[in-house]
Formats: sequence, structure tokens, C-alpha cells
Amino acid sequence: MKKQMIPAIILLILSVVIILGSQTFLSPCVHEDGSFGPCHWARQTLLGSGCVLGIMAAFALCVEHARLGIYLGALPVCALGILTPGTLIDLCRMSTMRCRMVMQPAMIILFSAALLCALIGVLLNARKRS
Amino acid sequence: MAVKAENISKRYFRKTGGANYFYAVKPITLTIEAGEVAVLTGRSGSGKTTLLNMLSGLLKPTEGRVWIDGADLYSLDDRALSRLRGERIGVVPQGRSAIDTLTVLENILLPAKLCGKPLPIEAASQWMERLGVAPLRDARPAALSGGELRRMAIVRALAQSPDILFADEPTGDLDDENTNLVLSAFRDYAHEQKKAVFVVTHENSALQYADMIYRMDGGQIISSAEPK
Amino acid sequence: MTMKHFSLSLKNLIRKPGRTGTLALLTAFLALAVFGGSVVVLSLRSGLNSLEARLGADIILVPSEAQSKVSFQNMFLQGTTGAFYMDASALDKALEVEGVEKAAPQTFLASLKADCCSIKIQVIGIDPELDFTVQPWIARSLTRELGDMDVAVGCKVEADVGEIIRIYEQRCKVVARLEATGTGLDTAVYCNMDTMNALLAAAEEKGVSHKIESGDSVISAVYVKVKDGCDIDAVNNRLNGHIRKVTAVRTRSMITGVSDSLAGVSRTVTILIVSVWALAFFILLLAFVLIIRERAREFAVLRLVGASRGMLGRMVLLESALCGLLGGLMGVGLAALLLFPFAQLIESALKLPYLMPDAGRVLLLAAGTVLLAVTVAALSSVIAAYRLSRIDPGTALREGN
Repeated sequence: MKKQMIPAIILLILSVVIILGSQTFLSPCVHEDGSFGPCHWARQTLLGSGCVLGIMAAFALCVEHARLGIYLGALPVCALGILTPGTLIDLCRMSTMRCRMVMQPAMIILFSAALLCALIGVLLNARKRS
Repeated sequence: MAVKAENISKRYFRKTGGANYFYAVKPITLTIEAGEVAVLTGRSGSGKTTLLNMLSGLLKPTEGRVWIDGADLYSLDDRALSRLRGERIGVVPQGRSAIDTLTVLENILLPAKLCGKPLPIEAASQWMERLGVAPLRDARPAALSGGELRRMAIVRALAQSPDILFADEPTGDLDDENTNLVLSAFRDYAHEQKKAVFVVTHENSALQYADMIYRMDGGQIISSAEPK
Repeated sequence: MTMKHFSLSLKNLIRKPGRTGTLALLTAFLALAVFGGSVVVLSLRSGLNSLEARLGADIILVPSEAQSKVSFQNMFLQGTTGAFYMDASALDKALEVEGVEKAAPQTFLASLKADCCSIKIQVIGIDPELDFTVQPWIARSLTRELGDMDVAVGCKVEADVGEIIRIYEQRCKVVARLEATGTGLDTAVYCNMDTMNALLAAAEEKGVSHKIESGDSVISAVYVKVKDGCDIDAVNNRLNGHIRKVTAVRTRSMITGVSDSLAGVSRTVTILIVSVWALAFFILLLAFVLIIRERAREFAVLRLVGASRGMLGRMVLLESALCGLLGGLMGVGLAALLLFPFAQLIESALKLPYLMPDAGRVLLLAAGTVLLAVTVAALSSVIAAYRLSRIDPGTALREGN
């Protein structure tokens, strides 16, 4: 296995955790009456970012000559993921609620790890080119 | 005179058997002169390596003394002895002796580095060139063959320009061509730089490079002669 | 002298990443347990102190309905909402009792969740003239008194100063965000009694009834401070006897309950730390001895080329200390990654007041933990280093063949 592929594999795993997590164990608050809080929309955006990231990771695994570009492109996607809960999209009004207690920190950590991973991918591939 | 040994012997305790101890080396008195290659031969188990270890400051004799240029080796403390070993004695031990985490060149420069001496980069390159390990300078020992490791160890000993160089079966892993390369390097080192070289071997090919030949059996030197 | 060891040790560590990583991982567990455990225990302890400070009264009177005492405790400890009422005359009656120095009323109201925050929120009305428990805390964030339709919010209510929040359709202006207390008070919203009465009226219109049959002026609790030198239990008994349909509760019992739980958690954490410590030390000890045995030939070669016994001993200590440093940093880093972002989750799971220590103390604790990891790693290699210095290079070189 080539060293340059490792970040892509980790990215793929992270995005799977993000996608599944946003629907299950990292999901935001549930309202008894079935209405949606703002955190619901943050979750939908995170789901989208996670899917984009996963597809990019899959591309990075398959298309060798475009790897550097794909890793570069993953950087802003990760940044979007970090900024989504709480900064770009409001969450619920109470720190004790699930969206702030679980979803926000977990998503920020997951997307930060992905950012770091993409950054390592960029460095590895840039060094290989030069 | 480079090395003088006076009545050195090594005695080990036996776990079973009649006598409760035996001599690996019986008392031996020996002088190795600067500018000559001394070769010690004998069957395996005759005490050659034990004698070499005692002469090179690695193994304290049960009795007797070893002088190197007037310094009584085993009266020195560990620090001073280690320093002397690093600065003035070169040893090529049997078997693998590479530090796996260092490259070939780093291994070769290690003795100087440990003593804090200026690194003998030039001498190292010359000897690496001569013994054919120059292309391997940045390789790690794990990638080297037995013969290459052996030559690396020889370069490591030679590059420090030791006053006396001890080599224990230095040609064991080598083919004929490399054997001659190494032995002629030893001879040139002794003759041109007026240093002492002491080689332990059971191979006859080494004898033709010797200035002095010792034969050992049963822990005793049974003959010493200049070659015909 | 030291530099040359250092570079050799560093190369030994970097070029054997598997070995280094395993040793570092072992110390990382140690550091994780020590740092994580200490932060949790410290947080619980400052949570308890904060709870004592915020309770600030000797006795609290609540309506004697079956649920009101439990509901009051949960409100304080876990931030659940509570709404129970008694006649406002209880305040005056309390002041009549011998031994009572001060008494201050509070009125509670739970907001409808649809109103502002998509969750029910506890609204607490205080009387600025009588209050002696909440005011000093509010004063740290707000220099003036709470005006009409002003609210001060607990630190866990995500609303900015100046923002308007709506409670029962009433527009309330956020004038302060309060400091963290680690208690249930952090999820509440505070206002004065006039505002509270307006909110109660609005709630009535929405069909949320809080009326009790006798009067129209209601309160939820009375905080009582006992005169110095008076027996609190005696005052407690007098209050219970003097006022009908009211239960007097000693705050001490609430605090004792919490500190008992805290002691339990502390004990568990201590056992955890000690067992991880012992296990890690033992495994490290074993690992170093095994590693030294495996490296006997390498060290014999170093002796051969001029390294003294002392040099090798120092090298082993340095390498293990560096492994400890790496492991310590990893462990503290991992613990920080779990403890700080998920502090709220931990608090909710523990169901106890939980107040994080300030950054200075956390940094001090982190530095101490890393130092401990380095010391433990170095200590556990001492035996190995000693045995190593006894290796006879001649013998080791022959055996290794």
C-alpha cells in the first residue's frame, strides 16, 4: 500500500463515521412533538459535507494523478464541517441539549481530524511531486 | 611496542565435572609491536577470542596485566578504560556488530562521536572506497549482507586510526577476493601507519600477510614464529 | 557529552517507531488516567464548593406537596424545571420565627418550550431587596439591579446580552450572562418579582395555572438565614411547626448528599488511577527488561566502540524518559480532547455539580502529569539500566552470535 493512500483511507473512515453518526449516535435533539429545531438543519448540512468528503476520499483512492488536488479540495470542505454547528447554523439555546453536548464537539473533532488528515495528504503528495 | 601482556590468564568456574574451575586461557606473556601484523591461529575453543578480549580491554583477566603504551588497562576505572578503548583501540568482533538504528556511515563514525573526537570523515570515505562499501554509506544495516556488515565493521575500526587494531575472524563471511582486500588493507595499515594489527583466524589464507604467527591450543600459545 | 547521547537516543527512538510507540502508548494510558481522573475530581469538588456558595442559606422552605422537595433538589443539581407554589404569607410567618435572621422569597416558573428556547426553561424570580443568595452572584456580571422585564441568564443559556427572548409572549431583555456555577442554576433565567408577576399573569392567560386556592400572591421557596449562635435544627423545627403546608429543609442535607456522591466518585477515580498506575509500571518494568535483553548485543557493541557503563545507563534512562514525555503528552492530549469538548456530557452523566477548574490550574495539572509520566518511565527502566551496565561486552558479543 502506498503511503500517499493512507490519508485517503482515514478520510473515508472519518466520513463514514460522520455520515452514520449524524443519523444515529451523534444526532441532534429530538423534539417530542416532532418539530425541528435549528440543530436539525445543522445536522443536514453536516450530513452533506460528510458525503462530499467521503466521495472525495473515494476519488483520492481511485484516481492517482489527481490526488494532490483532491486533498486540497477536501480542506475547505472540512473547514465548512467545523464551522457548521454553532457558527454558520445556530444550535439550540441550551448547552445541556444534545446538539451542543454531543453533536457539536464530536463533529468539530471529526472534521478537524479530517482536516489534519487532508493536510498530511497534501504534504505527502506535494513532496512526492517535487 | 604497542601492547604487552604479562602472565594473563582467564579462569572460569565449571558447574559440573571434577575440578571446580578450568582455564580458558592459561598464563600467557605476549608483546605485539607497532608496525606489524600478528596473526593468532588455532582450533576453535582454543581460547583465541578470550585472549583477544583480554588484550583489547573487553574482558578482565583473572590474573596478569595488559599494558597499552605504558597504561595498565585494568587498573583504569571504567570511564577511562572506555575512553581509551574508543580512542586508541579498534576492535572488529565476531558476528554482527552494527547498530541497527544508524546508517552505515553513522555506524562508522560512532566511536569518534562517542569520544567527542572530530569525525574522521575523510579516513572513513577512503577505507569505505577501498573495501567497497562506499555505495552503502546511507543504507541501514538491515539491508546489508553478512559480508558487507563485516567490511563495515572493519572500516569502523580502521577509520578511527587506532594504535592497535584487533580483529576476530575478520574474513569469516568474506569470499576470497574480499578476504585478500581486507587482509592487504590490514597489512598496509600496519606497515604504512606504523600501527599494530592483531588478527585471530583459523583460515590459512591470513598467514601470508602476517609478520608474526602465534598458534594456540588448549588455552596456551604453543608456538610463535615469523613466517618463512 | 550529553548532546551526542541525545542524538543517538533520538535516532534509536525515531528509527524504531514500533518499540517507541508501544512504550509511549503504555505511559499514555497512565497519563490519561491520572490527568482525566484528576480533572473530573477537581471539577466535582469545585462544583460542590460552588453549590455551597449558591445555596447560601441554612434552611429552605418549600411547599409540603409530595414532589416539591425532590423537584427543588433536581432543579438545583440537574437543572430540571420545577414549579410549585405556596402563599406569599409564608415569608412573613418565617420572619416571625425566633432565630431567623433573614428570609428571602423566590418564585419559579417553567417556560413553555415553544416560546423561546425550544426547551422548557426555568425562570426564577427574586426580590432584590431581600435576596441574599443570588444577588451577589448576579452582581459579578451586572453592576446595576435587574429592572422590569430584564433577565439575567445562566451561562448555559445560549443568549447574548442585549438580545430579546420571549417568555409566554412577553419580551424580556437579556442584561447579563452569569458566571458558571456548575449547578442546575446555570440553565435558569433570573428576573425580579415584578417581572415574575407579569410572567405569571401571562402564563395564566396561556392556561398554565399556578394559582393556589387561598390567595393570589404566590412564591415557591423561602431562603432562610439563621442568626449566629442559634441551633439550626431547632429553628428548622420551629419553622415546620409555625407555618402550615410548608416543609423546612436544611440545605446541609442537600450538600451532604452531593458530597457523599462526590466521595464515591473520588474513590472510584482513585482506585482507577492507582490500578492503572500499578499495571502500567509493572508492564513498563517488564518491557524494559525484555527490551534490554533483546538489545544486549547492541549495547555490547557500544561498549566496544568506547561507551562507558555510565554512558549506556544514561542513554537508557534518557530514551525511557523521552518515551515517557511522548506518552505523557499523548495521554494528556487525548484526555483533553475528551474532557473539554464533552464536559457538558460528563456533567449530565454524573448528575452532580461539575465546575471545570480554570485554565491555569488545568495547565499546571497537565504539566504535573507529563512530569509524572516521565518519572515513571525513567524509574521503570532503572533496573534494566543497572543490569545493562553489568553486561560484559566480550561475553555478550559471543552469545549474540
